[in-house]
Amino acid sequence: MTTTAAAPTTARAPVVSFEHVSKAYGDVRAVDGLTLDLRPGETVALLGPNGAGKSSTLDLLLGLRTADSGTVRILGTSPQAAIAAGRVGAMLQTGGLMEDVTVEELVRLVCDLHPRAHPVGEVLDRAGLTQIAGRMVNKLSGGQEQRVRFALATAGANDLIVLDEPTTGMDVTARQAFWATMREQADAGRTVLFATHYLEEADAIADRVLVLHKGRLLADGTAAEIKAKAGARRISFELEGPVDEPALRSLPFLSALDINGHRVRAQSHDADATVHALYGLGLYPRALEVAGLGLEQAFVALTEAEEARTA
Amino acid sequence: MTHYFSWSLTRLEVLRTLRNKKFMFFSVIYPSVIYLLISGTQNTTDTVPDTDLTLQAFFMVSMASFGALTAVLMGNSERIAKEREKGWVRQLRLTALPGRGYVLSKIAGAGIVTLPCIVVVFLVAAGVKGVRLDAWQWLALTGLIWAGSLVFAALGVAIGYVASGDAVRPVTMIIYFGLSILGGLWMPTTVFPQWLRSISEWLPTHAYAALGQAVEMGGSPHAKDIAILCAYFVLFAGGAAWLYRKDTLKA
Repeated sequence: MTTTAAAPTTARAPVVSFEHVSKAYGDVRAVDGLTLDLRPGETVALLGPNGAGKSSTLDLLLGLRTADSGTVRILGTSPQAAIAAGRVGAMLQTGGLMEDVTVEELVRLVCDLHPRAHPVGEVLDRAGLTQIAGRMVNKLSGGQEQRVRFALATAGANDLIVLDEPTTGMDVTARQAFWATMREQADAGRTVLFATHYLEEADAIADRVLVLHKGRLLADGTAAEIKAKAGARRISFELEGPVDEPALRSLPFLSALDINGHRVRAQSHDADATVHALYGLGLYPRALEVAGLGLEQAFVALTEAEEARTA
Repeated sequence: MTHYFSWSLTRLEVLRTLRNKKFMFFSVIYPSVIYLLISGTQNTTDTVPDTDLTLQAFFMVSMASFGALTAVLMGNSERIAKEREKGWVRQLRLTALPGRGYVLSKIAGAGIVTLPCIVVVFLVAAGVKGVRLDAWQWLALTGLIWAGSLVFAALGVAIGYVASGDAVRPVTMIIYFGLSILGGLWMPTTVFPQWLRSISEWLPTHAYAALGQAVEMGGSPHAKDIAILCAYFVLFAGGAAWLYRKDTLKA
């Protein structure tokens, strides 16, 4: 990746930093000692089962709630200061829209309020709202409303864009178009943080995936690393002749083995080493396939393992 | 620099209020209708007990004040409660406009819409009921009733933050009718028993109506009434600001 325009001094500073941030509601620890940095230009997915603390984390990040302890900084300042300076655009699941106004009027308002706004026409166009600019906001479909929220989040030159379940209510085509637009934002050097429960979106779009569980950071890495961490490559092959099960069980890095007649299915933490050892046994596997676990399976494996550990 | 007040937001608030037909009916037409109904039962020469003020003129000021009160109180409280529920306030917090800006724009937006309420009652009173005043009195009345309505705009904001969902409407209604009737907007307080009169005297609505009545009688507003209104404004606006902060912490 080539970084050009950004000033060297600011490029090093994290866009977002959480330091030992905790937030509890009564006995429930929604965010529990969270520490993380987001660097400029990253596209980061925030994953976690329901109740993992995703929304609380985003609320703390945006200054909509105050942490019980720890500090949240955006570009070295408080979330409120960063928002007031027009550094942050956000699309909230719970964010409502003003009623009895047209799409264009609402977008124009948010552009007027933004210290570093883009021209209204450009914002409407990018969000695919030009055709329905004159429509009343309270007459929109769910997908159209999401596009309006997106327009509000990208009304100006923000350094950080925060999206909470942005594609909820969109069909597949709209979702693809949405992410294409989001890509442009990321390519323009903006940092994008999005929470989603569509794991394929995280897999396809994010440079980095954060897995949150019970308010704590369970995993932090690329989608591939997360999958690897979950013990996450699947090996399958067929063997001719009798299958020597103990020999197969002795293969290195194996996390699961399933033999069905001549068909063998295994999971490995290091598929390369496992396959290498398989040939080392003098076996000749046919129809060999090595495939990554989907992020979804990796995610389930990770959170289940954590559930089991803490139970 | 952050701005504490947004003309764009105020303009849009006014625009959407003008689009709301039900609201426009209740705040612009309704006070005039009530005025005609109440004053229609009186002849044009009767005066308010103990004063030289004609009942026609008395009711004109009362109903203009009542209309302004309706517009700002109903408009603000229900809308803010609804916008909090729908998350628009949350979304707006993510813009560079600080919370104070939202509250001030709300008060200003409601304030601007109040003017037609006042003017329509005056036009009806002058045209239909033949109320005659000096030019300075018309101007002073418009200005005072308008400025006084800001007190209730602030009250509306406060109610919008304290009540939510289904509770907003009844809470607003009770406060609204209670203040209107006890404050003497619907009938002169001189017809009240003494104990009720002494309560009424300290209500913001009574002080509000008294501003206008002092001008009608050719004098200037009493310092006591102005002081009462200022005190209520500080109380309501302070309450609204405090509730807004509280809302930030939890919502």
